[in-house]
Amino acid sequence: MDAFGGPIWSMTASPSGSQLLIGCEDGSVKLFQITSDKIQFERNFDRQKSRILSLSWHPSGTHIAAGSIDYISVFDVKSGSATHKMIVDRRYMGVSKRKCIIWGVTFLSDGTVISVDSAGKVQFWDSATGTLVKSHLIANADVQSIAVSDQEDSFVVGTAEGTVFHFQLVSVTSNSNEKQWVRTKPFQHHTHDVRAVAHSPTALISGGTDTHLVIRPLMEKVEVKNYDAALRKITFPHRRLISCSKKRHLLLFQFAHHLELWRLGSTVATGKNGDILPLSKNADHLLQLKTKGPENIICSSISPCGSWIACSTASRFFLYRLSYERDSISLQRVPKMPAFLRSALQILFSEDSTKLFVASNQGSLHIIQLSEGCFKHLHTFQPQSETVEAMCLLAVSPDGNWLAASGTSAGVRIYGLKELKPHCTVPAYNFPVTALGIAPNTNNLVIAHSDQQVFEYSIPDKQYTEWSRAIQKQGFHHLWLQRDTPITHISFHPKRPMHILLHDAYMFCIIDKSLPLPNDKTLLYNPLSLTNESDVIRRRTAHAFKISKKYKPLLFMELLDERTLVAVERPLDDIIAQLPPPIKKKKFGT
Amino acid sequence: MVQLRPRASCTPAEADAMVDEGQPASEEVAEHGLLLGQPSSGAAAEPLEEDEEGDDESDDEAPEELTFASAQAEAREEERRVRETARRDKILLKEKRKRREELFIEQKKRKLLPDAVLEKLTTTSQTNIKKSPGKLKEVDLQKKHEGHDKGSDSKKAGTQKVQPGSQNKSYVALRLKDQDLRDARQQAAKAFIQNSLYGPGTNRMTVNKFLSLANKRLPVKRAAAQFLNNTWGAQKKQNAKRFKRRWMFRKMKASGRVNGS
Repeated sequence: MDAFGGPIWSMTASPSGSQLLIGCEDGSVKLFQITSDKIQFERNFDRQKSRILSLSWHPSGTHIAAGSIDYISVFDVKSGSATHKMIVDRRYMGVSKRKCIIWGVTFLSDGTVISVDSAGKVQFWDSATGTLVKSHLIANADVQSIAVSDQEDSFVVGTAEGTVFHFQLVSVTSNSNEKQWVRTKPFQHHTHDVRAVAHSPTALISGGTDTHLVIRPLMEKVEVKNYDAALRKITFPHRRLISCSKKRHLLLFQFAHHLELWRLGSTVATGKNGDILPLSKNADHLLQLKTKGPENIICSSISPCGSWIACSTASRFFLYRLSYERDSISLQRVPKMPAFLRSALQILFSEDSTKLFVASNQGSLHIIQLSEGCFKHLHTFQPQSETVEAMCLLAVSPDGNWLAASGTSAGVRIYGLKELKPHCTVPAYNFPVTALGIAPNTNNLVIAHSDQQVFEYSIPDKQYTEWSRAIQKQGFHHLWLQRDTPITHISFHPKRPMHILLHDAYMFCIIDKSLPLPNDKTLLYNPLSLTNESDVIRRRTAHAFKISKKYKPLLFMELLDERTLVAVERPLDDIIAQLPPPIKKKKFGT
Repeated sequence: MVQLRPRASCTPAEADAMVDEGQPASEEVAEHGLLLGQPSSGAAAEPLEEDEEGDDESDDEAPEELTFASAQAEAREEERRVRETARRDKILLKEKRKRREELFIEQKKRKLLPDAVLEKLTTTSQTNIKKSPGKLKEVDLQKKHEGHDKGSDSKKAGTQKVQPGSQNKSYVALRLKDQDLRDARQQAAKAFIQNSLYGPGTNRMTVNKFLSLANKRLPVKRAAAQFLNNTWGAQKKQNAKRFKRRWMFRKMKASGRVNGS
């Protein structure tokens, strides 16, 4: 719906959740009513001279602070008129030609308005009188974001230099009741602008232009000082962005607005362990599919035979049929995809490429039968519980009998595909599932959780396997549990049922269920020198977890056939080279 | 005033001529901007030199005879010529103006639709005229006071839909002002955010410099980063590759012949 104010710069919901406020390009602040089925325009507030860049409600819902260019206005919600207009200095001390842009405002319940602006200042204003109380100069560049905790005794700001500052309300002396805002901690975990910050009860979360999400737990708020209380830096999304067609050795890369299809190169040379062989046939860029419009691609997949490509955006679902003639490929779009497939969260093809499984964001699972150029909607599994929970992960068994789907909180649900009926549910666990995989012949479901626990559940027997119970009893190695990044993909060897292949961003691991499990005293990461030792020593120190850190950062890894493994690395330098320019910082010695 | 000749011999005829010449002479004076009594470099200079030369030869030579009639005729000629030029200039300017006026009328005619269409339009829109002023008013106010729903309605009405009526082809006339405003605002917003974050005055450094600084601060210092453009000289590189292959082939052939024979 069009707000008729031009581009919208800021949006905030009232504390009660029933009203929505929008700040527009033309300087108008518009109030909308949120009803259960739609958003209704209520009225306009007094129009200001320049664009409204930031908005904040008073916790009681009676007043609003709106930050604009060079001034902040305080509005009364009932009348819609501006009660105060506070002019902001363009520089902390002195004059400047560049206008001061108020990037963020916050309204506290005692009437204080905190503003952050492009001159690098954090200023405290009294909204009752419209005057400046205190001003802090914290950076030479813009301060771009602000977030306040629920108790309103601390807030966090992010600057364009990549620094995040923590402000706290502390008493002036240890006995007195009088409190003041003091800048307590600086954190420098980003290299580029910090455009968004959030304040959770125990941690400060910041994210910016350098694509990292940094979670910094506050030591005084954390009860148990274990590995959870350390800094977390999340670089890669915890989703699968690459899908693989094993039969034709094709990889489908999912970008934000387009898909790329590549055929892997091949080599005829042979060598020893550890050699890098030259390619006889280079990798081939076969196809690039662009989506029209501003929407991002949510998920995509290619069928194992390589004949179907499916991708989904928020408003449309695309299904393409590929045909290969000698060296060229041709693409044909399947028209008139049904509307319920839109904004799917996960797409999966069955192993024989006859069925397409789509997990929608409403919580239901759709099964589509694919044939020579058309499709047929077979069945839909509706969400069972009252709470609508989106299914975000899917796994299908290679023989096509079972489908496993997991949501964010409830246990993993298993459906039987022959009878099209739900089969069973794996007991729920506190931590969400990050990867699912079903083994080829034994139909064991392997589940990886975000706290680095791995479970194995036998689908036909409807219980955990012996090996899973054994490892739960013994517990994982402490180094395994201290890994930072979650496991994103699980795959299996077709001829070796005892092997499970997992990978996360910095390592890949083959779990050999026939070998003994490591306890805390053994070495988890096998050193390279072990290959030179005698056979006896190797047998003594061998354990089930064979980990290699050769390729990092790993984005995807899959077994193509019995003797080939494909791994996709994404070097961070490549990403950094494409980022927008950071603020200039003078470093000593350069 | 009167131009005095250097010769003091004043004949009555000369005196008359001088008196009669008062006006033309004053004209001349006015034209040439002379001071009173000062002989100009024009007419008097030559005779002066001549007279001087004459002086050297003989003092008794009489000055040139300049009858009144001839002088008068000369003056009249001058006047006429001046008047002619002025008139010609005026005529030229008038013609130019006329031509320009015609050109403007042509252009105006071209801008408007052909008469026949205009007539039809006026007849069909007679009926809508009564309704439209009210709607236009709503369109003006909608940005300030009107509610959102009403606003959308009037917006639709504001796009004047012309009924085809009894015409062969049908068309819909829309107001492009609204779309222009929307585009202008989007452009302004994009330019604002780009300028405020990455424009002049912001202290930004390039990615190249950023990576180079990072290299310099590592425990083992490395060289500065340099970005290569792999697409540069693609044709040249391809030509070079082909040439190399051909050269190798020729070399092999030549060495083969030497070895073989």
